[in-house]
Amino acid sequence: MINFLFLVTLLIYLAASIFQTLSLAISNRSEAAIIRPTIERVAFWGTSIGFAFLTLFIALWWLTQGHFPMTHWTDSTAFFAWAITLIYLIIVRLTHLRTLGSFVMPVAFIAILISYSFATHTAALPEPLQNYWLLAHTSLIFLGYAAFIAAFGFGLMYLIAERKIRKKTDTLLDNLLPSLGISDELGYRCTILGVILLTMGVIVGSLWTQYIRDVPWRWLDAKVISTLVTWFIYIAQIGLRQFWGWHGRRAAYAAILGFVAVLCTYVGVDLFLDSMHTYR
Amino acid sequence: MNQIVSIGTSHHVAPIDFREKLAFSEAQIIESLQHFRESDQVQEAVILSTCNRVEIYAVANAVRNADAAAKILAEFLSRYHQIGVESLKKWTYLHHNLETIRHLFRVTASLDSMVVGESQILGQVKEAYDASREAGGAGTILNRLFTKAFSVGKRIRSETTIATGAVSISYAAVELAKKIFNTLEGKTVAIVGAGEMSELTAKHLVSNGVSNVIVANRTYERAVKVAEKFNGTPLPYDSDLSFLIDADIVISSTDAPDYLIKRRPLAEVMRKRKHRYMFLIDIAVPRDIEPDVSKIDHAFLYNIDDLETVVASNLKDRQQEATRAEQIVTDEAKRFYDQLQIFQVNPTIKALHQQFREIADTELQACFYKTTLSDQQEAAVASMTQAIVKKLLHYPMQNLRCAVNDGDTDHGQYIQALQELFALDVNDDNSDM
Repeated sequence: MINFLFLVTLLIYLAASIFQTLSLAISNRSEAAIIRPTIERVAFWGTSIGFAFLTLFIALWWLTQGHFPMTHWTDSTAFFAWAITLIYLIIVRLTHLRTLGSFVMPVAFIAILISYSFATHTAALPEPLQNYWLLAHTSLIFLGYAAFIAAFGFGLMYLIAERKIRKKTDTLLDNLLPSLGISDELGYRCTILGVILLTMGVIVGSLWTQYIRDVPWRWLDAKVISTLVTWFIYIAQIGLRQFWGWHGRRAAYAAILGFVAVLCTYVGVDLFLDSMHTYR
Repeated sequence: MNQIVSIGTSHHVAPIDFREKLAFSEAQIIESLQHFRESDQVQEAVILSTCNRVEIYAVANAVRNADAAAKILAEFLSRYHQIGVESLKKWTYLHHNLETIRHLFRVTASLDSMVVGESQILGQVKEAYDASREAGGAGTILNRLFTKAFSVGKRIRSETTIATGAVSISYAAVELAKKIFNTLEGKTVAIVGAGEMSELTAKHLVSNGVSNVIVANRTYERAVKVAEKFNGTPLPYDSDLSFLIDADIVISSTDAPDYLIKRRPLAEVMRKRKHRYMFLIDIAVPRDIEPDVSKIDHAFLYNIDDLETVVASNLKDRQQEATRAEQIVTDEAKRFYDQLQIFQVNPTIKALHQQFREIADTELQACFYKTTLSDQQEAAVASMTQAIVKKLLHYPMQNLRCAVNDGDTDHGQYIQALQELFALDVNDDNSDM
């Protein structure tokens, strides 16, 4: 039953990502003008319904496991997708920029796909970690990552829009993309939000270490270090922008760099390096 | 039977001096509508008079056919403006019923305008309609027709892109600026040199939110002169381009033979303004701005050719979209016309039904009064009577509806015959549908 729900969620996300991408990609003008609103509506409602299903699924999973489903990195990706969608929906609510979905929804879909493919993995979560510290620590960090992914989406939108303005090809795609100034500004705000959430998550995590007795803690943990590197990349972005006016194109590239760092921290470390954060 | 007709002229068919003669002032419109109301030949009328077109839409019901109704309008125009019938025939067009509807829909959707998709006409038609309604010109049918025309106009604007994309150089510049800056509020535009085009563009930018204007010129007096028009700041031209430090949008149109704004000094300016975006518009020939400027980060350069390309591609798109819009107009006009026919036939059908039912009811009551039937028998007789009424009316009603939907048969004659043969009292102002 719960697996079936997961499959349904996965398929809804697939459809939502396809429609989100389609809404941006379909050729400009001609019949597109009539179909586009429908595609956009399907994409947005697909996203919303997918989000509702995913919420339900995570809640059920939580109930059956008895603790926050965060045992293996592959099942945390479901929560990661949830966080991405949540941040996206909040941004749409505030700015009406649904186009962002064309960039972040595919990421959310891939995250769920990973989670679904490895759903049979059942690693046991050590007893001492099963508490609300886990919930606070991981969800703050994942929401921070989700904000970084939104910033990445804005960065891509910026680069595409800038390319179009420079190449002087005026197509309907420009009309869907926000202006350079808006992409830049919103990307920056997402970065700040991400840094705040990540910082809070890290602080919660380090406080938590004071209370864990049975699991050995070491500071030179791969995950800790790479998280610090990621954190530093984003802090540097904010500093360069504030003091040296690094915005626009450079900020967009930095957002992409940050995205890569997030992926390395999140996936790379678990796959290739040993860390106490992986719970093997 | 109601005939909807229109007579009119526009920039498509007539030169300006003829359109001028035909134009109506506001007072004349009121006067003419009053004339129509008193003459009793025309029941409803709306007069639209703009610089590109003069049109009268009218409904007449005391005429034999649409031609007769159109003739009334033509005679009126010829008399009112003292124009010969010959030139009237040459420079005006006449539309009947379905064609009138289609024409009004096209006009309102700005498919008949000089620049397809322009937005003024919808407002102009609205004003004309409101004025006519206040003056007692528009009645049940024209109210319906114009309300529908506005909704079709809106539908076309939302479902097609005929109204999007700038079709003039200055608006193209404004649209591009909107794609670069998050808002135009608080931005500064610099006019380098002077000229009609650059001032027009600056004017559009200001009306779209740009708040500061800088004017730079080699002769400071001229800069002061232009700056006065915009309440702006005059600055002396300087080869290190320091006057551009606060400029977010630069419009250059000098007659200088060489590049005035070169890459190297501009890069320095960009550094000083912390790389905030700069949108440069070069409308001078020969060009004022070195093309390499576009290689500077956050500096976007468009020259006159680039802007003209944008405009041309927008115009082409509008033309393509117009074909789709025409299809919508044709469909909507047909649907409206059919509904109108049914709407016009309905009162007669209703009256006929009512008459039959009343006769049956009266006769039933009389019958029940005379006889002593059980409740069951009374019910049986009553339902039989109803069935007879229904069956008697079945074929006439079916054929009448067919005639309406068919469109070819003149159902007006049917209606008239029914009303006369059965002595029906049909109230024409029946507005439910």
